[in-house]
Amino acid sequence: MSVVDILFRVDSICSKYDKYDLDKQREQNAYGDDAFAKLYATVDSTIQAALKKSDAALAENNRAAAAALNAEVRRAKGRLMDELPKLRKLAKKKVKGLTDEDLAIREDLVLALPERIQAIPDGITTVNQPGGGGGGWSSQPNIKFESDMHRGSDYFEQSEESSQFRNEYEMRRIKQDEGLDYISEGLDTLKNLAHDMNEEMDRQVPLMDEIDTKVDRATADVRNTNKRLKQRLTESTEVI
Amino acid sequence: MSTSDPNKLLTKADKLTKLSFTRWTADWKSATILYEQAANSFRLAKDYENAKTAYEKASKGQEMLSSPWDAAKHMESAAALAKELRNWREVADFYRRASELYIECGRPQPASDALAKGARALEDTVPEEAIQLYTDACTVLEEDEREQMAFDLYRAATNVYIKLEKYTDAAALMLKLGLAAEKSNAINSQCKAYLSAVIIYLYAHDFKQAEKCYNDCSQVDAFLSSDQNRCASKLLAAYTDGDVEEIKRVAQSSAVSHLDNVIIKLARKLPTGDVSGLKAETVEGEEILDENDLT
Repeated sequence: MSVVDILFRVDSICSKYDKYDLDKQREQNAYGDDAFAKLYATVDSTIQAALKKSDAALAENNRAAAAALNAEVRRAKGRLMDELPKLRKLAKKKVKGLTDEDLAIREDLVLALPERIQAIPDGITTVNQPGGGGGGWSSQPNIKFESDMHRGSDYFEQSEESSQFRNEYEMRRIKQDEGLDYISEGLDTLKNLAHDMNEEMDRQVPLMDEIDTKVDRATADVRNTNKRLKQRLTESTEVI
Repeated sequence: MSTSDPNKLLTKADKLTKLSFTRWTADWKSATILYEQAANSFRLAKDYENAKTAYEKASKGQEMLSSPWDAAKHMESAAALAKELRNWREVADFYRRASELYIECGRPQPASDALAKGARALEDTVPEEAIQLYTDACTVLEEDEREQMAFDLYRAATNVYIKLEKYTDAAALMLKLGLAAEKSNAINSQCKAYLSAVIIYLYAHDFKQAEKCYNDCSQVDAFLSSDQNRCASKLLAAYTDGDVEEIKRVAQSSAVSHLDNVIIKLARKLPTGDVSGLKAETVEGEEILDENDLT
């Protein structure tokens, strides 16, 4: 029997027993069902994706990448919150084939959704970022404190990113200032040394002048003596 | 004759110089030579006492031969030996005599050098005498208009004063240094001298005097526009505010670290006494308790 034959056989068996496949049925049911279920399924999957992204953000060392992931998570949360009122309306609608129990269940599910959405971590609540990413980001606790006050407002979410960057900038500036202080101390020492050397040079100028005159006198004497010596020598040799 | 016993040389030379019936004039020339030889041999034999005497006599001989330079040189050697013998009185005398002889030569520089050497030798033992020598050395230089050389001497003398805890004198010397520096156009030294004076006054806990000193110094343009001026004003401001942390910070600053070692030590020990008492005084009213703390 060839591979093609096997494939055909498997396909026919599957299609025969499809009605016993629970997952597939559920999916089909979901599709065949009403708008509520569809919407609810999409919301659920979005929540799952957001959770995955927030986990990735937590594990991320690169600050910029983490911030980007967190931003996406937040955007997803915002969209979900928008979908919520629609879901609530659909949940209230009566759908054929749906029992009263199911209806109540659906309403409960919708109510539980907002909490689940908010529970997705999006970087506002994380405090202990790995410190390896650039040394000393102790500004995180500050951000946490602020976010507790302005929880859930879109406006604040955006400026929270910028406050992170601002804190980075402040830290870097403080480090620069420390370095510059160090340099300035060194320069002070150099300046003092230079001044002292200047004064020392000034002090030695008249001494050098004195040395100059004395040495000039000495050379003149030596030259005279040499000349006289030569004269005497020539005289004495002449006599001979 | 040169290798014979130095004592013999000494006696021989003495005989040459002593006047008696047979000798009407002293033969200083040969005597001096003998004295020098004797002194050298004594020094090699480490017989300091005799060497000193020999050098004295040699110096006298040179004087008689009207060569004050050699005389002064011998005097200095004698003084060095007296230092070894710890005969401080003689040390001072010899060095003074040497410097006088140098001045006779018309050489003020070695004169002040001799006085400075004497002062350094006496610093630990007879500090007052040392200070006297230092001031004399500075006067000699100033007369010759070589104030530049005097800076070191002033600084050394100030150190001695501070050791003796005579702070007003020390500060006064610093001001003199400033004056000398101004004459020789050494602005940096001048400003450092003024800053040191202010610090000394503050260490003596004489805040009024320190302020007065600072005001006087501010009259000088060069000081006004210098780093040291800024440092001094910060220090005084910290004192008026009674801010101990600020005082300590200024004392650690680089301007202070470039001063003399002794001054730096004083600055680190600031503030002495009760700074807040000063603050109360300057604000208003007689807080009698605090004034008692000051005294």
